[in-house]
Amino acid sequence: MAQSTAHRRLLQEYRITAGPVTEDDLLHWEALIQGPEGTPFEGGVFPAELKFPRDYPLAPPTMKFLGEVFHPNVYPNGLVCISILHPPGDDPNHYEHASERWSPIQSVEKILISVMSMLAEPNDESPANVEAAKMWRERRGEYEKRVRDGVRRMLGL
Amino acid sequence: MANEQVNLPSLLVILVLTGLVVRYFFFSSSGSPPAAQQAGRAGRRDAASVMAAREAAVVRLQQLFPQVDRRTLLWDLQRTGGNIAATADRIATRRIETPPITFQPPPPPGGQATGGSTEQTHGKPEDKPAQPDLITRYRLQGKLAEGAGSGSETESRGSSPGGGKTKAWSSNRDERQSLLQRRRDEMILEARRKMEAKIAAEKAAAES
Repeated sequence: MAQSTAHRRLLQEYRITAGPVTEDDLLHWEALIQGPEGTPFEGGVFPAELKFPRDYPLAPPTMKFLGEVFHPNVYPNGLVCISILHPPGDDPNHYEHASERWSPIQSVEKILISVMSMLAEPNDESPANVEAAKMWRERRGEYEKRVRDGVRRMLGL
Repeated sequence: MANEQVNLPSLLVILVLTGLVVRYFFFSSSGSPPAAQQAGRAGRRDAASVMAAREAAVVRLQQLFPQVDRRTLLWDLQRTGGNIAATADRIATRRIETPPITFQPPPPPGGQATGGSTEQTHGKPEDKPAQPDLITRYRLQGKLAEGAGSGSETESRGSSPGGGKTKAWSSNRDERQSLLQRRRDEMILEARRKMEAKIAAEKAAAES
């Protein structure tokens, strides 16, 4: 039952920029995210995998960049840390409002939009990549250069 | 005097009994370590096996509920006495509670730092060095050569008359898949073309 609800919902959302790696496993998606304009990520394309729990959309998926993304809110292993991917009622530090977190009315599209705005504006409060957060705060120029270099490497240039 | 005569044998009996009891407890099985030490070791073994069972339960539960973190699971397992079914039921019916801050379980045996639960469920530790760029990743070298020079070439390769982008959905499973793949490839190739142009422009600017 939960399985079929998840399937129905994911089939609906499939129409957006992202999609399952193969349709045999609808719970495992790959998405391409474009670097937002006016940021050092501009012009870049970043692949990420989305893994959905069986009780989606009750619980949020997890998202992980598959390439190098040097960003304060992305763990060095690529895992994305933003409020929309956090289940409701699970923030002991009270950084986030319940409305910012996951709920079934959110969608893959909203996640991708949130991730793009995260790329543009890092959230300094709870960094996932401490090195990136520190560089972003203290040596912005160096941070932007490192990101730009990463973008070019990703495109094979 | 008569009292003392009665008491002396009973005193002896008590002494002998005490001796026997002491002997039973401390020197019962010659060759094996003292019983008290044995009991302590057994207790430790119990605790270790309970922890191992809890960890196994956490792994199983995280397969079912990757969104619930390890700490929450351990907390609930502690409350249900290690009953996986009960904990799973509580998660499924959203009755699971957040553990108090004071509850700090020991780090997972895998040696991974206690991060988000998702990190553990992913389980891929640092696959960084093996990350190819997008062209290699999606095997676009061939298309790269095709599309070189004229930018419009790859875009006009869409088979349907309306172009690849306008037809966003198909009822056919394979067609859906290939549509998505083409959209992805186009996105990467276009980004690369733009970046190439940008780099060329930068070079030209630097030279002049």
